[in-house]
Amino acid sequence: MERITRRSFLQTTGLLGASAVLADGVFHETRADKPINFAGWVFKPDTVKDYVNVYNQKFGGQVTYEAIPWAQYHPTMETRAFGGEVFDVMYCAHNFRERWYDNGLIRPLDDLPGMDELKKKMTPQNLESLKSKDGKLAALPYFTSLFVLIYNEPMLQQAGIKAPAKSWDELVEHSLKLKKDKVSDHPFLLNWNVSPSGTMPQFMTDAFSEGASVFDAKNRVIVDQEPGVARAMERWQKVWKAELVNPEVLTKTSSTDTHRLFWTGRYAYHTNHSYYLKTIAGEPENSKLAPKKAKMTMYPGTGQTYMWTDSYAINAKTKSLDDAWKLARFLGGNLAGDWYVQRQWCLISGLDNPYPEMYEHPDIIASYDRWVDLKLLRKQYEKGKVIAAYKEPWYSEYDVKAVPIVHNMIRGGVSVPQGLKELVKLQKSLV
Amino acid sequence: MLVICLVIVFPLAYSLWMSFADVNLLRATGPALELFGVRIPLFRYVGLQNYARLLADPLYWDAFWRTAYFVGAFVCETTVVGLGMALVLQERFLGRPLMRSLLLIPWSLSRVVVGLLWIGILDVEFGALNGLLYKAGLIESYVSFLKSGFSALNVLVSVYMWNQAPFATLLLLAGMQSIPMELYMAAEVDGAGYWQRLRYVTLPALRGILFLILVVSTVNGFLMLDLIYILTMGGPGNETTTISWLGFQTAFQFFKFGPGTAILYTLTVLCLLLTVVYHKIVFRRLEAAEL
Repeated sequence: MERITRRSFLQTTGLLGASAVLADGVFHETRADKPINFAGWVFKPDTVKDYVNVYNQKFGGQVTYEAIPWAQYHPTMETRAFGGEVFDVMYCAHNFRERWYDNGLIRPLDDLPGMDELKKKMTPQNLESLKSKDGKLAALPYFTSLFVLIYNEPMLQQAGIKAPAKSWDELVEHSLKLKKDKVSDHPFLLNWNVSPSGTMPQFMTDAFSEGASVFDAKNRVIVDQEPGVARAMERWQKVWKAELVNPEVLTKTSSTDTHRLFWTGRYAYHTNHSYYLKTIAGEPENSKLAPKKAKMTMYPGTGQTYMWTDSYAINAKTKSLDDAWKLARFLGGNLAGDWYVQRQWCLISGLDNPYPEMYEHPDIIASYDRWVDLKLLRKQYEKGKVIAAYKEPWYSEYDVKAVPIVHNMIRGGVSVPQGLKELVKLQKSLV
Repeated sequence: MLVICLVIVFPLAYSLWMSFADVNLLRATGPALELFGVRIPLFRYVGLQNYARLLADPLYWDAFWRTAYFVGAFVCETTVVGLGMALVLQERFLGRPLMRSLLLIPWSLSRVVVGLLWIGILDVEFGALNGLLYKAGLIESYVSFLKSGFSALNVLVSVYMWNQAPFATLLLLAGMQSIPMELYMAAEVDGAGYWQRLRYVTLPALRGILFLILVVSTVNGFLMLDLIYILTMGGPGNETTTISWLGFQTAFQFFKFGPGTAILYTLTVLCLLLTVVYHKIVFRRLEAAEL
C-alpha cells in the first residue's frame, strides 16, 4: 500500500481543485450565474412552471416565475415597474407592446445574437406584427392566433344540411332553417363578448372577410367609407333581429366563456380564436362536440380573418441581458436548436406559433389530427390579416369604447351608416 | 399618528393630487417628493383639466344617472329586505337559530363567487332559474335576463342586494334585541296592533341603525365594481356602466390614471354629500323632539 505523504496529498488535492476549476470553465457557457425574474399572465401556470424547471435543469438557469391574473396583468406589471421592480422577461399582449416599448419598459431585440436567424424562420405577417412603430423587433412570439369558423357537424346532418356554409348568405340560410325546424334556438354563436378579445376583433374579422379595411395606411378608422363593413354590419343586424344569436353573448365577459357555450352542442356555427377548437373538438371530458364532431371550415367571403401575436418581452432595465435573452429565446424561439416551449404549447393547448417548420414535426401533426384538419388550419393562417393600428396610443381606449357603439348597431339602436360614422368620430376624438 | 398618516392620509392626499395630474406610471421622471428615502413622483400638474373633461363627457353623465338609479334601487331593496328578514327572524319559530346562521352565508361569500353563482342561476342556456320557471310552466322558452341593459342593471341590483341584505338584517336584529320589552307591552296595553308597534316602537328605536345601513349601503352601492366585472363588464353596450366601472376602465384599461382618479373622487364627494343628507333626514325629527 502506498504511503500518503504531505507532498502527494498536496499534489492530489491540487489536481482535483484545478480540474474542478477547469470543468467549471467548460460548463460555464451553459450555466446562468444571475437570477432571472419571469412573469406571465395566468394561463396553465403549472405548465409554465414545468417549462421553467426544464430550463433551469437543462440550461443551468436560476429563473423564478410569477403568474399574475390575466385581467390585471398589464396594469400590475406597470405599477410594479413604477415601484422599481424589474421582471427580466415578461409576457406582453400585442396591444400593450407599443406602449411598453415607447415608454422604455421593454427593449428592442434586433441586436441580440441569433435574432436574425429567428426572424428568417417567422412568417412575415407575425414578424411585422411584433415590430414597434420604429421598425425594431419589440418581442418574441408567445403564440399567434386568428379567427376561425367552427361548425357542429351532427347538428347540420340532423337538419339535412350536407356541407358547411361556404358563403355568408348560405350561413344565414342554414341558421334560419335550423331555427325554423327547432333544431336550435340560436344556431349562430358569434364572438360578440364585451372584452377586448371579443366584439372588436370579430368586427375586424367580418370586415376583412368582406374584403374591407378598417384602418387606412395611417391607422385612421375608415369604416364609414367601406361598403364591405356596412354589409357585415347589416348581416349582424339581420341575424340579431331574426334571433339567430344568443343575446347573452353581448354580456359574456371573455372569449373563453363564449366558446364554452358551444360545448353544449346547441349551436350550429361558431366564430372564435383558432385554439378554442382544441377544447371544443378535442376534450370529450368538457365538450359534447368532442372528438371531432365540431370542425372548422374556411371563413366565408375572402376568407381573411383578424390575426394577432402575443409575446415575450425583455425588460430594458434587466441587469442580466444575456440570461434574459437566453430565457426569452427558450420560450419564444429555439435554444440550442430545440423549439421545446413553442412545440409544447402546440401539443398541450393548440396554441399556434409563427414558425411554419413547427407544423412539419410528426408529434404536432399527430396531435392536431385529433381535433382539427391541420392543412385547412394552415390554409386559414395564410389568410390571416394583421393590423398596425394597435401600435397607436389611442388604440386601447378606442377598442373598449367602440364596443357599445357596435353593440348598439347590432341591436338596431342606431343605423349602420350612423354607427359606422360614430366609430370614425370616436377614433378622431381620441387622437 | 404616524401610522394613520402613512396608511390613510398620505394615500388619500397622493391620489387626490393624481386627480389633478397627467399620470403615466411608466414615465415617472420629473418633480418628485422624497419620503423616508423613497422617491414619489408628482407627475405633471394639469389643474382642473381632468375634472373639466369628465364633466363635459356625456359618457360620464350617462354613468352618473345609471349609478343614481343603481344606488337608489340597491339602498331601498337592501333596507326593505333586510328589515323584512330581521322582523321574521325576531319572531320565535322552530329552526330560528339555524335560519339566523344560514342568513350570513350570502354576506360571507366573496363577490367573485357571488357573481359566478348567479351566472349559474340566471344563464339563458343552463340557468337553474330558467329551468325552474320552465318546468313550472311559467315561461315557454328560456329567458335572457341580461339581454337588455335595464334588465341587466336590475339583475346587478338584486344580486348585490342578495349579497348585502344579510348584513343589514344582522344589524337590525341586534338593534331589535336592545329595544326594551316594556315598550312593546305598554303599546299592547294601549291597544296597538303589530303594524302600529312596528310604526311607533320598533322603527323609531332603530333610527340610528337605519342611518348606519343607509350610509353603508349607499357607499357600497356607489363603489360596487366586482359584480359588474364578473356579470356584465359594463355591457350590453354601456348599459351597466356605472361611475365606479367607468373610473376603473379609465384608470386600468386606458391607463389614464389622472382622469380615472378624478372620476372616482366624484364618487367620494357624492358619498359625503349623501351622508349629510341622510343624517338630516333620519335625525331631523329626533332633534326636533329633543328641542
